[in-house]
Amino acid sequence: MNLKQSFIIAVIISVISITSWELFWRSQGKYPTLNDDKSLWAMHRADVETASKDDYIILGSSRAYFDIQVKAFEKATGKKPIQLSSTGSSPLPSFHDIVENTNFNGTIIMGVTPGLFFSTTFPEASPWKRIQMKVDYFQKRTYAQRINYALSIPLQQNLVFMSADEEEWADDIDLKALLKQIQIVKRTQVPTMPPFYNFGDVDIDRNMSMTHRTAIDTAFANTVIKVWRFYGGITPPPDKKTTITFFMKDLDKFKARGGNLILVRFPSSGGVRAGENKAFPRAEFWDDLVKQTNLKSYHFEDYESLKNLKCPEESHLSAADAQYFTSEILTIMKADGALTNYKTN
Amino acid sequence: MLFNSLSFVVFLVVVLSLYYAPILNWTSKKRMLLFSSYVFYGLWNPPLVILLWISTVVDWITGEKLAIEENEHKRKLWLLLSMFVNMGFLFFFKYGDFLLENFTLFMNAVGVDFQSKPMGIILPMGISFYTFQTMSYTIDMYLKRTERAKTFLDFALYVTFFPQLVAGPIVRAGDLIGQFYEEKRATINQFIWGLFLFTMGLFQKVVLADSLLAKTADDVFGAGKSLFPLDAWTGTLAFSGQIFFDFAGYSTCAIGIALMLGMVLPDNFRYPYASLGFSDLWKRWHISLSSWLKDYLYIPLGGNRKGIARMYVALMLTMLLGGLWHGAAWTFVVWGGLHGSYLILERLQRQYLPFKITPQNGIFLAFLTFTCVNITWVFFRAREFSTAWNMLKSMLFIDLDGEKILQFFDIIKVLTLITIMFICHWIMRNKSMKEVSEKTSPWVLGTVWAVLFFFITIAQGSGEQFIYFQF
Repeated sequence: MNLKQSFIIAVIISVISITSWELFWRSQGKYPTLNDDKSLWAMHRADVETASKDDYIILGSSRAYFDIQVKAFEKATGKKPIQLSSTGSSPLPSFHDIVENTNFNGTIIMGVTPGLFFSTTFPEASPWKRIQMKVDYFQKRTYAQRINYALSIPLQQNLVFMSADEEEWADDIDLKALLKQIQIVKRTQVPTMPPFYNFGDVDIDRNMSMTHRTAIDTAFANTVIKVWRFYGGITPPPDKKTTITFFMKDLDKFKARGGNLILVRFPSSGGVRAGENKAFPRAEFWDDLVKQTNLKSYHFEDYESLKNLKCPEESHLSAADAQYFTSEILTIMKADGALTNYKTN
Repeated sequence: MLFNSLSFVVFLVVVLSLYYAPILNWTSKKRMLLFSSYVFYGLWNPPLVILLWISTVVDWITGEKLAIEENEHKRKLWLLLSMFVNMGFLFFFKYGDFLLENFTLFMNAVGVDFQSKPMGIILPMGISFYTFQTMSYTIDMYLKRTERAKTFLDFALYVTFFPQLVAGPIVRAGDLIGQFYEEKRATINQFIWGLFLFTMGLFQKVVLADSLLAKTADDVFGAGKSLFPLDAWTGTLAFSGQIFFDFAGYSTCAIGIALMLGMVLPDNFRYPYASLGFSDLWKRWHISLSSWLKDYLYIPLGGNRKGIARMYVALMLTMLLGGLWHGAAWTFVVWGGLHGSYLILERLQRQYLPFKITPQNGIFLAFLTFTCVNITWVFFRAREFSTAWNMLKSMLFIDLDGEKILQFFDIIKVLTLITIMFICHWIMRNKSMKEVSEKTSPWVLGTVWAVLFFFITIAQGSGEQFIYFQF
């Protein structure tokens, strides 16, 4: 058995095939990016353990993730925020984790996306489970998992084919995602979600910015809008009372130890905004939440400089608008004295 | 640490470099392997390495005493000490909550108002494997079937050798400790073949089990409702393939890694889905566990030496406990019970309805065995009996009104893969991969190897844990 020869042949074919695979996907317009996964979230969650009164944490769903830009935030406040927002998630489980499992008493800026904030406290519901899974991962991650992630970062940053995102985007190129694209005849009664393409790039600071294509290509942005419509049609009714009760308990504890929480309603536009206004009337949800919590709160509609921002796919700001929004909202907060730990020169 | 992870690749490169660099003598190399094995285990949960140390020290001392002690009473006490420590670990960490839960149910059933909270004890990875391995040494020493380990280092390495530490194969002392006595170096062919086996094992785990089959099995068993028969069968077949590729993949990796170090580990799987009956199955599936159960449970219970009735009782008890070894739940006991029943029925058939196995009826018999195995997997995979009953009602066409939850492509994918797997097992049932590869041209073997590696690379995977780690 000439295994040496087999080994050399295997190495040559492997190098050729994997290089071709990489070059093919680059020729299709793909570029290397980090995956927005639980390991990256956990790496930033670990920073909370050593955070001080002067630090900032961003919690919320994808709007708080896309619309707050880390560099712009750092420029405005002198501090890099710890970005712990999570797409499609309620902010309540991550806030609960910070209140219960850390001594953090700095400033938390919490995005309120009504459809997610007021959704539920049921552990198996998607808005809860998605973020709770990240929290649990952080609590239980092993040293081996930490090393694996550290080793995977340079590979993800340099190789296109490392694209197995937890979100399982329709345009991922790992084996599972490629097979998922094969659809024969629909057999089940379960409503099929339209293809959900990745529309944001994340970096090592967990700074999420909308892709250039989403911002300029209306047809592509429409594919994302279709997904929001799909979710709008299958989302169960909100559970305002339970969610606010859960939140208030943690809020009281956080306030008692000197923490500062700020609520922000990030922009939405078009059909998504119309749908939100109908399903979550401002007076009934946002205004009532602000009244009950008595927190510094900022609704984009209340500010001339923010209310006309347009979201390309109706729910998130383009990278350029997000830079503007971040600077502007922080200017407003500073003027309002909301950033209690902000030190002016 | 998982074989299917980047950290393991780096770990393995470092270990191999130190092992083959001309800087360490054989004793230092063994120390390095032992230290690496503790790192391998400790990177998961460092404090639990202490359990390994305790198990190692207790069984080393017991082995030393049994080697010189002639007093039968004292020998028995030393054996009991080892059993107490190892089984104590197993019961406390693995069965603590299960026992408490059942005790609570029992008390409530007899009218005593007793409430308990789960202890929430973390299950040390691979505890069932290494405790069985160390116990086999002590029992063999007690029965004077093996020599004592020459040094503590050799024994500690036997207990902790990282390729097979957390999911086997469960190796007997006689098969492994002796390999540590003299310096081992893999020949170039052994090393490359080990690397090929490692690639093959990763392909089975990352591509076949995790990427192609796991989701279908998870969707079906997690559906929480009555399913259409085709969906129930597809989910069960998907699990059948998943657990084989997951576990056989691990064993193949373990054997390959050991071979790269010049050590030989025994086969743990021999194309089990082409088994002709259940006795044959247990000579092909998780061979190291089934032979352990045979030698240390079935035979001490009387085996086939004390009459037919006693043999059936021994067989059933062995399989029930074998089921419980896999997990602290009654569903695993039922799984073991079903296998015990199949084995008893097979022996009755051999006694009263014997027939000759030919190539023509052989494949039918293999298919029948595979079908029966799939029925048992339902209990193995289902977390609750309600799920298992729902699945069985659909699979046996008692419930035809269940929901369709799988898409056509998923069904085609699973059925195609499982059919190919079954045919491969049938073709290979009397052959070995080594034999076949020896007859294959280097170009074909090299191309196949590259294809396996390419699929591993594009599947990537998220470092899913091997199913058998939890046992």
